[in-house]
Amino acid sequence: MNPAQFLTIFISAVFIYNVILSRFLGLCSFVAISKETRPALAMSLSVMFVTIMSSIITWPIYRFLLIPFGLTYLRTISFILVIATFVQFVEMVIRKISPPMYRFFGIYLPLITVNCAVLGVAVLNVDMFFVGSKAIPGSFYYSVFQGVCVGLGYTLAMLLMSGIRERLDLCNVPKAVKDFPLAFIIASIMSLSFLGFNGFRF
Amino acid sequence: MKNNLIVSDSPHLHKEESVTKIMWLVVASLVPAGIAGVYIFGFSALRIILLGAISAVITEGILQLLTKRKVTLLDGSAFLTGLLLAYNLPPKVPFWLPMVGSLFAIAIGKQIFGGLGQNIFNPALVGRVFLMASWPKYMTSFTQPLNYDAVTSATPLALIKEGKVLENISYLDLFLGKRGGCIGEVCILALLLGAIFLLMKGYISWHIPITYIATTGILTYIFGTKGLFSGDWLFHILSGGLILGAFFMATDYVTSPLTRKGQIIFGIGCGLITAIIRLWGGYPEGVSYAILMMNGATPIIDRFTKNRIYGTR
Amino acid sequence: MKGYFREFVKGIIKENPTFVLVLGLCPTLAVSVSVINGIGMGIAATFVLLGSNIIIALLKNIIPDRIRIPCFIVVIATFVTINEMVMKAYSPVLDRALGIYVPLIVVNCIVLGRAEAYAQRETVLNSFFDGLGMGVGFTLALILISAIREFLGAGTILGYKLIKGFEPAFVLAMPSGALLVIGLLLGFFNVLKNRKI
Repeated sequence: MNPAQFLTIFISAVFIYNVILSRFLGLCSFVAISKETRPALAMSLSVMFVTIMSSIITWPIYRFLLIPFGLTYLRTISFILVIATFVQFVEMVIRKISPPMYRFFGIYLPLITVNCAVLGVAVLNVDMFFVGSKAIPGSFYYSVFQGVCVGLGYTLAMLLMSGIRERLDLCNVPKAVKDFPLAFIIASIMSLSFLGFNGFRF
Repeated sequence: MKNNLIVSDSPHLHKEESVTKIMWLVVASLVPAGIAGVYIFGFSALRIILLGAISAVITEGILQLLTKRKVTLLDGSAFLTGLLLAYNLPPKVPFWLPMVGSLFAIAIGKQIFGGLGQNIFNPALVGRVFLMASWPKYMTSFTQPLNYDAVTSATPLALIKEGKVLENISYLDLFLGKRGGCIGEVCILALLLGAIFLLMKGYISWHIPITYIATTGILTYIFGTKGLFSGDWLFHILSGGLILGAFFMATDYVTSPLTRKGQIIFGIGCGLITAIIRLWGGYPEGVSYAILMMNGATPIIDRFTKNRIYGTR
Repeated sequence: MKGYFREFVKGIIKENPTFVLVLGLCPTLAVSVSVINGIGMGIAATFVLLGSNIIIALLKNIIPDRIRIPCFIVVIATFVTINEMVMKAYSPVLDRALGIYVPLIVVNCIVLGRAEAYAQRETVLNSFFDGLGMGVGFTLALILISAIREFLGAGTILGYKLIKGFEPAFVLAMPSGALLVIGLLLGFFNVLKNRKI
């Protein structure tokens, strides 16, 4: 297990290949929930919880179930089912803890299930930390850490976007582009700026 | 009853000078760099500068008419945006490139946010990265300095990105602008003249540019090609668009933090990202991307570095 | 009959999944680079949407609320797999063009979104028309976005070069360009709606 690898994973997942701004996963909730900072952070925390837990669960499933039985083609379906279960759990918890927050998220909470970012991490873990049918040394720890870092990257993008949108709320933007249109355009410019990290080589 | 209450958003500047005067003075401070660019690269550079600046002004006028807002195209801010965009272009691009770039810069980088004071990102840089992503072929073809026959050459940063050794180029060459590059970025001497003027008059403060340049210099020194602490930091400071970006674009009031502390964070962030892209990224230069990313972070930086006013939470 | 028609039409304009509900963005960004791909994805997604809406509406009283999400996923995944197999058999070219986004219809927010917001509480017939409307709305949105992106980003429509000497703006082939197009289209629709800027 290589400690430098953890640093690489952190910098890649959070900045260089940011899950939202470079890989373009998880955009639905990014555009919809980033209007204010508080809900944006709450959504980010929920997504991070799901990415971490799904990394923890999908790894042994891939390693000890799919590979030995030659069922690796079932990975998308099985990963999705694991994620779906966790999101259901998160939903139950939020409903209990904070009904207003639950109502606020509306449909975007169950949609964490199909948040491309979450499935993306699981698939990424498999692609990056397995070679053929063998797990590289430290694979499990790298995968879990990547789950953490992707969650952090998601949080970073949400934080930036909510800061921008909150500030624009105080401004006098043209009515036609208020809210969603402008959010898309901001996302477009942010992702243009993240093109600067293309072709990265450590 | 005359409305004596003015509600506006930041920055709340109480200076005697108006926005118009400041804008045109910044334009004036950039003239030396433009003259140098035209001298080094020929009249095509002049054409690009004029096309860029005028297209920007026209775009702003049309958009303000369409959206029934006050027409402010003479306040110099659109002209400045077009000028800066042109300064960030290679000298032999097709005539329509600065026009399209200025259109995009003003429309998407500025007016769609509601106009001056409300844009989040530096409009000239928004235009530049748009052009870079759309027509990379044109945006990466540079010509030799002082050779008006359009002989292509690579910029110093591009050469070291490919691992080639630099020959026949001295620090003095870099300082005076005898190198391939974008129109307004090459002549450091001319740029510094304008920058010193702005600093002395107090139109920009040293916090952002100095922290920006210092951070880039330190990082490129530490992570040199021949091992740690062997980097050619002077070369890096004098190359690419760092001086142009640090003094004239990163310092834009609207798109950078309000507090001194925030500005230092901003400068360090820009320097960090620029150095990282130059050292390990795919592109030879990262100034535009770095500044845009930090522009995006500015609202959050402001939020967390705001001065506590007595009586509020 | 009028009620069913209303359910169908709402998915096209008033509650268009892409422009109003802001769902299904990931595949939209990736697939709307060319009109052919847009149409293909739209049809495939519509099929899955119809299938899942109908089955979930049929089973809504049997599926326990506490584990409804995983159950929906199983239903959706089944239709996605059927679609994938049919596509591989009858239109392999399109299947190759759409690549991983064929199986990824299982994470298309629109499908789960409609199951959650509609099919689990409405009648089968209503769900059918809702699914149809949403699917058509999604397809039309894809066609519109990809027409713009293909023309301005590659200079072609359906693969045919239109204007000689036109230098396409490559940014439109990137997700950044897609976000820009969607944002500007949304703004444009607002202008049409409110008759002012």
